Amino acid sequence: MGQEVSETLSGIFEFYEGKRSELIPILQEAQGVFGYLPEEPIRIIADFLKITTGEIYSVASFYNQFRLIPLGRNIVTLCRGTACHIRGAPQILDEISKAINLKEGETSPDLEYTLETVACIGCCALAPCFKINHKIYGDLTPAKTREVFHVSG
Amino acid sequence: MPQLFSPNLHLENKIMDQVTLTINDRKVTVDKETSILRAALANDIFIPHLCYHPDLPSSGVCRLCMVEVGGSTTVLSCRTPVEEGMVVKTTSPEIDRDRRVNFEIIVANHHLDCKGCPGISYCKLLRLMGPLRLDRKRVRRLRLPQEELPLDNANPFLTYDANKCVICEICVHTCEKIQHALHVVGRGPKTKIAFYGDAARCENCGACIANCPVGALYAPKKDLAESA
Repeated sequence: MGQEVSETLSGIFEFYEGKRSELIPILQEAQGVFGYLPEEPIRIIADFLKITTGEIYSVASFYNQFRLIPLGRNIVTLCRGTACHIRGAPQILDEISKAINLKEGETSPDLEYTLETVACIGCCALAPCFKINHKIYGDLTPAKTREVFHVSG
Repeated sequence: MPQLFSPNLHLENKIMDQVTLTINDRKVTVDKETSILRAALANDIFIPHLCYHPDLPSSGVCRLCMVEVGGSTTVLSCRTPVEEGMVVKTTSPEIDRDRRVNFEIIVANHHLDCKGCPGISYCKLLRLMGPLRLDRKRVRRLRLPQEELPLDNANPFLTYDANKCVICEICVHTCEKIQHALHVVGRGPKTKIAFYGDAARCENCGACIANCPVGALYAPKKDLAESA
């Protein structure tokens, strides 16, 4: 695997000069290839830019767009906008957490689910709502939520 | 032929490189390339500050050193260079109000169990509470439910207490000049200081501990003979 990783990265590095300021675009491209930022590419990027791995982790942990752990196959995005909040998003969040045994922002160890919350997914008329990958589920109640995740309750 | 070595050249330079400004109705003459905060401190005028360290470039994160320039604009005195004829006020009702809010936010995110804190003898935060007239009742309202974060003992010579850290970044800037091992990690209220993969670069020089304004970084109490 090590060979492949360094080959992929040297393909990316062709377009860069090795300056510190190029860190973020390089990380974005690396994440585009690997899906997240594993340890090995980070070490190779650090060598290329002549900075420390800690600096890269520091940048990657600051921006929401960079992930240091892989995403699950199914991404559950719960809306926490005003409308959804008033109509019971916290209870829905509890219900989802129970159903797939994850807390907000976590990914299950078998990489089946990632649970995240956003400020609004743009369908307030369907509040409270969440989406699984690209499918939106609206007008939810705790019972309906359990149904979606096939949990009897 | 122009006179290259004017006998008064050093004097002229001296005058050229200095500026005079007014801080709190007091005329102060300082070097040109200095900040308002440095100028004030050199002349015994107190401006509250937490993230400023005389040996380091200022990062301007604590936002306590705000001053009023020219009667209207509010600036960070640690990051504003002095100018000829500047009129600076270190206190006014608006400045005091903004500064107090910033200070309250810092204190609200800082555990106040000062009694057992290793930094009690030198804590800068504690020493600012008097001059800034901290209202403990207001701070208690701002405080989030107490959450005890674990101590970071990644390095046996260094303990990091995230509950006490005020994210002044002094340790990070100190280390940047020496080993570049400490980093700011995360964002917002969850920001921390950590090695994050660079623990092996640390040479245990202790400069970060010496510069920490609060008791967030300290040498572990356990002495070395005991652990060996």
